[in-house]
Amino acid sequence: MSAAPASRGPSDPVPAYYPGCSLDGLGKAYEVSCQIVLDRLGLSLDRIVDYNCCGATEVKNLSHDVSVALPARNLALARSMGRHEVVAACNGCVYSLTRANDAVGDGATRARINSHLSAGGSPTYDGEASVQHVLEYIRNRAGLDRIRGAVRRPLRGLKVAPYYGCLYTRPKRYTGVGRVPGTDDPEHPVFLDELLEACGAEVIHDYPAKTICCGGGHALSDLDVSVAFSASVMHEARRAGANVVATICPLGQINIENNLDRIRQAYGEEAILPVSYFTQLMAVALGASVRQARLKDNFSRPDLFLRERGFS
Amino acid sequence: MPIVEPSLVTVKREEKLELDGIDVSGDWNTFLEPRVHTDLDLKIVDWVRSQPQGETISRCWQCGTCTAGCCMHTDYGLEEFNPRYFIYLAQIGYEEELRKYAQTIWRCVSCNKCVERCPKGVKVEEVVHTIGTYLEVSGGAPESPADRFDRAYTENLLARGVLDEAALFRTYERLEGRKTPARDLLRLGFTMLLSGRLHTGPFAHRTRGWRRMRPVLTKILEEEERARRARVEAPASRARGGSPGRAP
Ligand code: SF4
Ligand code: SF4
Repeated sequence: MSAAPASRGPSDPVPAYYPGCSLDGLGKAYEVSCQIVLDRLGLSLDRIVDYNCCGATEVKNLSHDVSVALPARNLALARSMGRHEVVAACNGCVYSLTRANDAVGDGATRARINSHLSAGGSPTYDGEASVQHVLEYIRNRAGLDRIRGAVRRPLRGLKVAPYYGCLYTRPKRYTGVGRVPGTDDPEHPVFLDELLEACGAEVIHDYPAKTICCGGGHALSDLDVSVAFSASVMHEARRAGANVVATICPLGQINIENNLDRIRQAYGEEAILPVSYFTQLMAVALGASVRQARLKDNFSRPDLFLRERGFS
Repeated sequence: MPIVEPSLVTVKREEKLELDGIDVSGDWNTFLEPRVHTDLDLKIVDWVRSQPQGETISRCWQCGTCTAGCCMHTDYGLEEFNPRYFIYLAQIGYEEELRKYAQTIWRCVSCNKCVERCPKGVKVEEVVHTIGTYLEVSGGAPESPADRFDRAYTENLLARGVLDEAALFRTYERLEGRKTPARDLLRLGFTMLLSGRLHTGPFAHRTRGWRRMRPVLTKILEEEERARRARVEAPASRARGGSPGRAP
């Protein structure tokens, strides 16, 4: 069993980008706004075309080897594009991709997984791709100074609760976060706080629900839990004085918004706040319109919220 | 929940401290009987360790850090959800007690706070799931809603290489014997439409070359499942002396 690597390894001018099912489907607003932010900051990513689903946290409960082979196939594709760096925007994807890296750190496991991959007609994986969240990529590659300089419309009047959710940093033995230099703090992350602040928003640093679970993995199988957790994401934000929640994970965003009616029923209208992908807010700050950032896609209607505050 | 069961604690009372037939000794002199485990039933822990997801179980030294921060225990407030205790019961092989939690263990939401914090590098979340799987394959525990979802999810993604979320929702709700609220489905369909990329229906996106990958992965899935069941039916290993936390 290997520990998380002590460094991210070689870096690419243009890293590979793993969209995963969510960004390509339900989380389209996330992908589109991500693209705007990257463009405006002069960053680019190269999409892995024939990717497959990473298996999230579900497949591993049924089969170890399938749960490693699925993400390993994607990492192998990135390696065959000649890349050492893979950027993903979904916490669940970051989890399963880094978990696969941990597993193939063991030589015997790597050989076994590679034999599965070859049998299925996929390139084999050498274990040499490092994985990071797009939040970390934007923060480190652009740097806060460049972001401050690129802001066209500071997010004045926004009091943002930065919601990171579970698997952005956790567990560090897989993600390397907190062990690798230049990464975030695994228990009390701050990168999202920094980015939003650079965009001129007021950020609630001591937001208590920062890294709680949204219950998304059990969104259908344990409804009570997923409603309770997604309600506390918004409720704690409001109690801390926020007027909008920023998310970094499509599973969290979709789970919270899909529970809106149930939360309203259980906890009343006061429990509801607009919820937005952080890249949607950043895109607006960098000059994109509310429409371009697809804020109307979100059921909690952050578009109305922003328009009320003079953003078009 | 205390680490040691009440039945292992002996309360010694001073019989002389009795006034008018009323015991006034108090429980101040409560002793733990010193004990050495010699007759552990290693069947469960051996099985859990034989699974790649459960390998790290024997590192656990029962500090309780996992339970202290556990989302389900502390945030949701489900007191009987206690990963430290599940591991303990598995380690000493107290199957009867463990079975009482068969309807609780599956509720782990995989937040990985426990894995993050465990000072011994136990992959607690995967170990907890593996203990749940043991209860299921060794008979007795019915399939849980989370297991049904994992299965529906896996079959869904194996079909084309990527998820078809709408189909997954429908399949799962059917498995649970529920009808998906029309409003939820409508919303989903609406979002899919907005997303501009069809993930459902006959023309949906699929991973190129998946036709070859699919049978390979399906076969592994079946083989691992068979091996899990075969192992649990194999005769259990003999008990050893020493404490349950001893590394392999
Ligand atoms: S699994 Fe880890 S955190 Fe939990 S009791 Fe054991 S050693 Fe402590
Ligand atoms: S992963 Fe499961 S056991 Fe671990 S802290 Fe989260 S809910 Fe508790």
